[in-house]
Amino acid sequence: MSHDTTKKTKGLFWHQAVIALLLIYLFLPVMATLLLSLAKEWQSELVPHHYTLQWYVEIFTDVRFISAMGRSVLVSAITVIISLMIMVPAIFVIAVYLPKWEKLLQIAVLLPFAFPPVVTAIGLIKIYSSGPIAISGTIWILVGAYFILILPFSYQSIRNSLRTIHAKDLMEAAEILGAGKITAFVQVILPNILPGILISSLLSFSLIFGEFVYANLLVGGSFETIQIYLFNKMRTGGQTASAVVITYFILIFIISGFIIKLGRWKPKEYVASTIAKGGE
Amino acid sequence: MSYVKIEGVSKYFGSTKVLNNISLSIEEGEFITLLGPSGCGKSTLLRAIAGLNDLSSGDIYVGDKKITHLPSKDREVGMVFQSYALFPNLNVFQNIAFGLKMEKMDKEQYTVKVEEMVELIDLKGKENMYPGQLSGGQQQRVALARALIKKPKILLLDEPLSALDAQIRRTLRNEIRLIQRKLNMTTIFVTHDQEEALTISDRIFVMNHGDIEQEGGPRSIYTSPETEFVARFIGNYNVLKKSELETTGARLVSENELFAIRPEAISIFPLAKEGHNMDETINIICEAEVVMSTVLGNVMRFDMDVKGIGITVDALNESKIHWIKNGMTVQIAIPIEECKGLRIPS
Repeated sequence: MSHDTTKKTKGLFWHQAVIALLLIYLFLPVMATLLLSLAKEWQSELVPHHYTLQWYVEIFTDVRFISAMGRSVLVSAITVIISLMIMVPAIFVIAVYLPKWEKLLQIAVLLPFAFPPVVTAIGLIKIYSSGPIAISGTIWILVGAYFILILPFSYQSIRNSLRTIHAKDLMEAAEILGAGKITAFVQVILPNILPGILISSLLSFSLIFGEFVYANLLVGGSFETIQIYLFNKMRTGGQTASAVVITYFILIFIISGFIIKLGRWKPKEYVASTIAKGGE
Repeated sequence: MSYVKIEGVSKYFGSTKVLNNISLSIEEGEFITLLGPSGCGKSTLLRAIAGLNDLSSGDIYVGDKKITHLPSKDREVGMVFQSYALFPNLNVFQNIAFGLKMEKMDKEQYTVKVEEMVELIDLKGKENMYPGQLSGGQQQRVALARALIKKPKILLLDEPLSALDAQIRRTLRNEIRLIQRKLNMTTIFVTHDQEEALTISDRIFVMNHGDIEQEGGPRSIYTSPETEFVARFIGNYNVLKKSELETTGARLVSENELFAIRPEAISIFPLAKEGHNMDETINIICEAEVVMSTVLGNVMRFDMDVKGIGITVDALNESKIHWIKNGMTVQIAIPIEECKGLRIPS
């Protein structure tokens, strides 16, 4: 009996030890970056002795930082919006009306994984630096590349949302009840896939926000995004760079918080009536 | 003059024929069932009536109107799906009101109608709940109300009970039938469950491989199957070839090659006992060995062996049959009039 218990406790101990180790492994660099961004100086000590917010003040008063942030937000937002406007109707039509084309779409969507960004970027520069569409070095080449980059993510989440709500049945039910196809889509399909779409948008948004390779190779200094700014800062000073990284982390935290919240989203009266039901 | 007429309807998916030149007609207020195994074409036919599938050939009329090429929204049909297909973002009230809203009816007008419907399906007080908060049975009742509120010309039910528990299935089945009678709603019900079909319908169309094998009232379908498929699908009929039946000692005057015998029509007697009910002019009497007995509840099922031919016999599970044991040799009596000759479908 007691042997059994010790065995159990021992098992639990290993459980927790592994998790603790993993957490330390994950958070140590972040903690170190946080400390560095708050340190006055940090040379040979184990932890810094004097703390300051001067690095944050420095970056938040730097016009370059603010505009780099602005550019990242801009390129992310434009890409996500264009992606939604094209992909939501496309995936919907294929899933509901042309299921035999779905295989093809799946392959197309996974293709970006097959090409490393560096290879793709060189190809893109070659094609778009001259000729009819000379957009190399502008925001538009970046939007185009990012559109492809986020394709797998938006496809998966939109497709899953449609599958969970049995989109085809809902469309048929709505049509039999007298709704046209567009009315049915807007009133019955869209509200139900909205949480899924928003989650995928936020994921895509933070993915693009953290992207460096394409940004550096395709537009580089002519359109400085937050990642390029960070890269440049790292060469000049570690502490400013740390402040940038921490700011970036906080932003991603906020976005993740939204994602989790939206994942649990229910219609607004839903919660109220659940409580009422429990009270009966 | 029949109310719904289906004339020579065929449907191909690629080169496979799913509906083979089907014609049938339904009277106003009639409750008919399309019964068959999966892939027999019953759902395809129902969906074609709803306008969700197009047809390769043939026509559908409702009232005097030809609806073959109308879009779903103009067909004035109501449909209930196996998956309920309630709109998850709308509550019970809004789900039921959806069809009337599409007609641009005022809120005051449709509120009255929706309340009537909620009353009819016995969900008063749950108008503000969302589909996700209701049980399967409740959801399907909302789906029924949603389909009925527009007063459709026909109500189409596509296996509406298949996703529910046995108990709820039975209650809801009765409720659907009561509501249908009350509203005198012409209804087409699709199912693969023969018990469901027998209990709920005015008329049944048994379908197989895109053909209607047999049509008729529940009693005639059950007691007089015309083909081997119907005999096997609708009950646990013994289906015997003429030669097999003759080895049991039968002298039959019939040109049929295949016969169906209901297991409950056969009676079992001890070997020694002679006399009552065993008139050889109206019964086939033979010796049989009890291979296996199974308790089905109110019925006992005996698998018998008659000279190498397997015959199933059902008897009411009462104390007077408890003498029958596995391995025993008994006598069975098959009433000759219960040997139904089967037609071989072309």
